[in-house]
Amino acid sequence: MIPIEVYLVFAAVLFAIGAYGVMVKSNTIVVLMCIELMLNAANINFIVFSAFTTDVLGQVFVIMTISVAAAEVAVGIAILLNAYKLKNTTEADSLTSMRW
Amino acid sequence: MDSSIVTSLYGEFAPLAPMIILMIAALLMPAVYYATKLRDAVTLVAVAAIALSMFFNILMMIDGYQGDYVGVFVYDAFAGVMILLFQIVALLTAMVSLSSSETTRAHYGAFNSLLLAATVGMMFVATANDLITIFLGVELVSISSYALVAMKRKDPRAAEAAVKYVIIGGLSTALTVYGLSMLYGVTGTTNIPEIAAALSTQDFSWAFGIALITMIAGYGFKIAAVPFHMWAPDVYEGAATPVSMFLGTGSKKVGFVALFKIFIVIFVAASTTAAFATEEVQYIFAIIAAITMTLGNVVAISQNNIKRMLAYSSIAQAGYILIVMAVMSEYALASGMFHMFTHVFMKGGAFLVVGALISVGIGEKISDYRGLAKRAPFIAFAMLLFLFALAGIPPLAGFTSKLFLFSSAIYDGGLGGGVMTQWIWLAFIAVLNSAISLFYYTRVVKAMLIEKGETTERIKVPKTFTAAISICVVFVILLGIYPQLIMDFCADAASALFGI
Repeated sequence: MIPIEVYLVFAAVLFAIGAYGVMVKSNTIVVLMCIELMLNAANINFIVFSAFTTDVLGQVFVIMTISVAAAEVAVGIAILLNAYKLKNTTEADSLTSMRW
Repeated sequence: MDSSIVTSLYGEFAPLAPMIILMIAALLMPAVYYATKLRDAVTLVAVAAIALSMFFNILMMIDGYQGDYVGVFVYDAFAGVMILLFQIVALLTAMVSLSSSETTRAHYGAFNSLLLAATVGMMFVATANDLITIFLGVELVSISSYALVAMKRKDPRAAEAAVKYVIIGGLSTALTVYGLSMLYGVTGTTNIPEIAAALSTQDFSWAFGIALITMIAGYGFKIAAVPFHMWAPDVYEGAATPVSMFLGTGSKKVGFVALFKIFIVIFVAASTTAAFATEEVQYIFAIIAAITMTLGNVVAISQNNIKRMLAYSSIAQAGYILIVMAVMSEYALASGMFHMFTHVFMKGGAFLVVGALISVGIGEKISDYRGLAKRAPFIAFAMLLFLFALAGIPPLAGFTSKLFLFSSAIYDGGLGGGVMTQWIWLAFIAVLNSAISLFYYTRVVKAMLIEKGETTERIKVPKTFTAAISICVVFVILLGIYPQLIMDFCADAASALFGI
């Protein structure tokens, strides 16, 4: 059987890739995708812990997280569309009308 | 009259009574607007629903009602006080969005629907007894708030603010969920009292350390603590002013409630039985608190836009409230909750004044406020009270709550004396910061009272704004001279949370 650490390290790497993407990517849609990666890393954690302790609550949490993430992306994409209509770009570097 | 009305009406759903009304109203809002096409009707239904929900909640609070719904929602003294706070914020916001020139016309039903949905989410967090319900409540607030900010659709600043808010909010969600998953892995349950019990029998582990760091960062974004504060000034500046007020006074408190629920319960249980990293985490919070209040106040000095200045002052206030997490005593929690209450009326009132003046065509720069005392004496007087209360001038509400809060960092019994704590340096920094904050509040007061404006033409502020500002004025004075009105409930609430 594969030990639990392998899964946890996999999730941690996924989380780190997502966090890196959020920090360096300038396209806001890609940033939203990277946030999804981070959320999925947490989901993997939940499922692994749930499977190893035979407790179902972790899986319930995952279903909640997935639905919340879907709602968040729906609102997020709508907001990006609105910003695109007004500014004609989705690059994060263009969002600089307010600083300090 | 007592809470038996609520229990006979709602049966086993009684702990959820304040939320159910608002949920139904939230779903009805778009239909009401579609059917009547009247903004007044929508606001009337929203205000009536909030008032009814508030009535039930106050009955339950005064009666000392306690109950739970299948173990995941627990209504106790803590939930009652925080629900009351969120209801007040929602009531003020619903009132003023009617006559604000910045709120949407075409989607007014949806606007109110989102407002009430966010309020329900806040109440969920206040009653939550489970990581799942805390998470869902915080997300309900966040997602509704993204849409509320973006509802000022034609304004490029609002669009930019909404994009920043949704990305930072998503990042904060991801961090929080990762932390919660680690916490679940360490303890094997999502029920908060059970988590506390499980942690009290085990040693500190690296997985628990990761959970702590990611949860502090995730909720740090929600409460806009430095270094997770970058989004707050942009969002408060870009959003419609009633929405800024809702976010600054209500939405920010949700992060605090979640922090209190998770951290205080866990640490009180864990520190009594096992060797644990309690002290280290308290130091982390103390340092975040000190940096947050200092940076918020120092950067606020250089702001010329009032909404942005209030946003930075809001960051500083979050730093004051974080003293609770550093001290972690019952008295500190009670005074922290009391400060959250007075903050609603002080900061909420200041945002309302800004919103009222924008609605009559006055800009949001400090220089636009010149000669305001001649043009709108009541509004200028109210703003003076709110700003002085925020700075902590006696006998206003801000002075009393800061006195309680800072004294809790000096003696473990607060004003009652007792043993001196090790957080005295934090109290010193907080008092120093209050002095700094007086500087930038006085700039606005000087512009309003002393400097001469271009005209002396009188301004007529919309009625709902005057009513909401009057409510804030009354409470800013009342809570200053008679703090027991709320403080007694806060003390009960703190002992309820520490008793879990």
